[in-house]
Amino acid sequence: MSTAELIELRDSARQVLGEAGLAASESKTWPLVLELGWLLVAVPEELGGLGQGLAGACAFHEEFGRSLAAAPYLPAMLAIDAACAAGKADWVERFATRDFVTAPLADPALTLSDGKLGGTASAVPSADLAGHVLLCADDCVALVSLKQAGVERRERPTWDATRRLFDLRLSGVELDPGLVLARGEAARALARRLAAQRDFALAADAVGGAAALLDSTVEYLRTRRQFGRPLALFQALKHRCADLKAQVAGAEALLAETLSRAGDDLASPAAERAGQAAKLQACTVYARVAEEALQLHGGIGMTAEHLCHLYLKRALLNEHLGRGGNRYDLDLAEALLAVP
Amino acid sequence: MTHTTTTGGNPEALRAEVRAWLQQNVPPGWRAAQTGTGQDVFVRSQRDWFTKLVKAGYATPHWSAEWPGGGRSLAEQKVIYEEVARADAPRLILFFVALYHAACTVMEWGSEAQKRQHLPGILEGRVWCQGFSEPNAGSDLASVRTRAERRGDVYVINGQKTWSTLAQFADRCLLLVRTDGSGAPQAGLTYLLLDMKTKGVTVRPIAQITGDDEFSEIFFDDVEVPVSDRVGEEGQGWAVAQSTLASERGLTLVELTQRMRYSLPRIAAIMRERGVADDPALRRELGRLIPKVDAACALADRYLLKRIEGTEAAGDASIVKLAYARTLREFTLLGQRIAGLQGQYREDFIRGGGMETGNWPFDFMNSYNWSIAGGSDEIQRNIIAERLLGMPREPKNWVLA
Repeated sequence: MSTAELIELRDSARQVLGEAGLAASESKTWPLVLELGWLLVAVPEELGGLGQGLAGACAFHEEFGRSLAAAPYLPAMLAIDAACAAGKADWVERFATRDFVTAPLADPALTLSDGKLGGTASAVPSADLAGHVLLCADDCVALVSLKQAGVERRERPTWDATRRLFDLRLSGVELDPGLVLARGEAARALARRLAAQRDFALAADAVGGAAALLDSTVEYLRTRRQFGRPLALFQALKHRCADLKAQVAGAEALLAETLSRAGDDLASPAAERAGQAAKLQACTVYARVAEEALQLHGGIGMTAEHLCHLYLKRALLNEHLGRGGNRYDLDLAEALLAVP
Repeated sequence: MTHTTTTGGNPEALRAEVRAWLQQNVPPGWRAAQTGTGQDVFVRSQRDWFTKLVKAGYATPHWSAEWPGGGRSLAEQKVIYEEVARADAPRLILFFVALYHAACTVMEWGSEAQKRQHLPGILEGRVWCQGFSEPNAGSDLASVRTRAERRGDVYVINGQKTWSTLAQFADRCLLLVRTDGSGAPQAGLTYLLLDMKTKGVTVRPIAQITGDDEFSEIFFDDVEVPVSDRVGEEGQGWAVAQSTLASERGLTLVELTQRMRYSLPRIAAIMRERGVADDPALRRELGRLIPKVDAACALADRYLLKRIEGTEAAGDASIVKLAYARTLREFTLLGQRIAGLQGQYREDFIRGGGMETGNWPFDFMNSYNWSIAGGSDEIQRNIIAERLLGMPREPKNWVLA
């Protein structure tokens, strides 16, 4: 895959999402996602995809973050990757063009005993529109029908208005053997692969959002005048923006570097740590930019009509998605300390 | 000269070659040997290391191809720096100004006679220092005031330079002086190559807060410099100085960010040694530092790739420097917190030991080198805001409100 091709893809996504407007609704953006084949970006060519890999997927995640688009692109991409990993070409085609399959964006707490699944999966986007959910439990990765007996779905309104999250409670849910994607060591590897992709995707979403919000904040400071001069002339504000720019550039560079470091084996410990580092740094920076952006906008940033709060809320949610328990930093430290 | 290019310009083949060479040649135990010593021991070991590197051809990869070791691409130069960091080899501090600032300036602006006079001497170990900063011209370099008055075929210099790295050992100085005070500040500057043994030159090392004295002041009292030692035309000094400052092209920060990354396990080891490896607050701080260090490495790396492709933008270099300076500060602050009270008992420092020597209060104080020298963090923030974010420049005129 060439860099030029990737840039071209990203630019087309930016244009389409830009035309759809900032924080465009799910009902507006999801049909575009299906129609334009964006779910096939990372799918290998032999399975009918564009073969752009995780880097290609992340270019799109970045654009979704930039535009605050509400489409559940991230969970759908995880489900499609799982289908690819299991070599289910027909599923790939279905999931990418018609049947939405969702997946939790936080680590679920599920157990599998006697072939029955129990526990909870939280932060499952748009579960009311999905036929199935992709779940990892113990030594098994499987699709579960959301209409199946024992699956209880509850919408959890979030501060972030650009996502609709559901909790799933499962009790005694019988696994359909035809929907099991992997078991045993293969399942553990697939779960690691999916977690790494989720982390990278959240990092990309955060990088896109942070960059866009910083741009629009600087633009606001350049046009807003007080004391007879543009706010952008005040060095106290310039320096804060410069610090944010350096942090955003660092998160972008780290994302690019970790994506290449992760390589093709996304189930490897190296890929896991690379994804964690990228996720932690990008989401921390995004939250920092969002926090500062509101202050730099002054009163207008406190109004619901302004875009600041949309980014702020998505940034805050992003920080808490993923592994949960606020432990990315602890896990990175543990990996370093474990090496003698 | 024993150097032969065996790798045909392939950076990864060069990597293996350099790695093997460093394994054989990095002086074992150099850190211990440089701890608690005087400058004389440091200077001697720098000379030995310099001689080895020159012989192997790894000191001059950025020189043109007619020179031993020269003609390497920027990608190959990057490989050498990465491997030097990986091997934890000593930094070539004493000769850096000679190999980069002096050599690149003379190659770009010097006359044929000046090239013949100075370039071979650099390879023989002549030490150069930089005479740019002054007490009232630090980040604001254009306000240099050291005067040079033309009298026949000499310039007569009076004034003072400061923050000149290891000037007390230098044979020659890259000297930026004012020949005209009437026009724009940048327009009246002239660039000279000064022999440090000239009558009227006094060097005084500056006692630093760390106990080290790697910088010096240089005083000029009616110092006569032949006009033939001028580089470029009279009044062209600002442009020549820009070449000097651009000569290292981001390689140093590739090396230093990677050294910082290789030092992370050292922090981990010290946490274990001090029995605080399970302290959850320290673990969290360490965990937050790791991706910041990785990000600084990635920024330096990508900046150099942009240089190689020729796609860098004005302000990109400022981001790398600011990110490194801030991350280094955090790194050394964490080191101090881990060291605790024990770290506050004074220990001998390592001369030329880099930025993360494990003597944390020393490293912390030393980290200000990067947030102040070479354009302070505040200057970098101005550049980022103005060049990359398009925010307006400071007004030229000011009155107190």
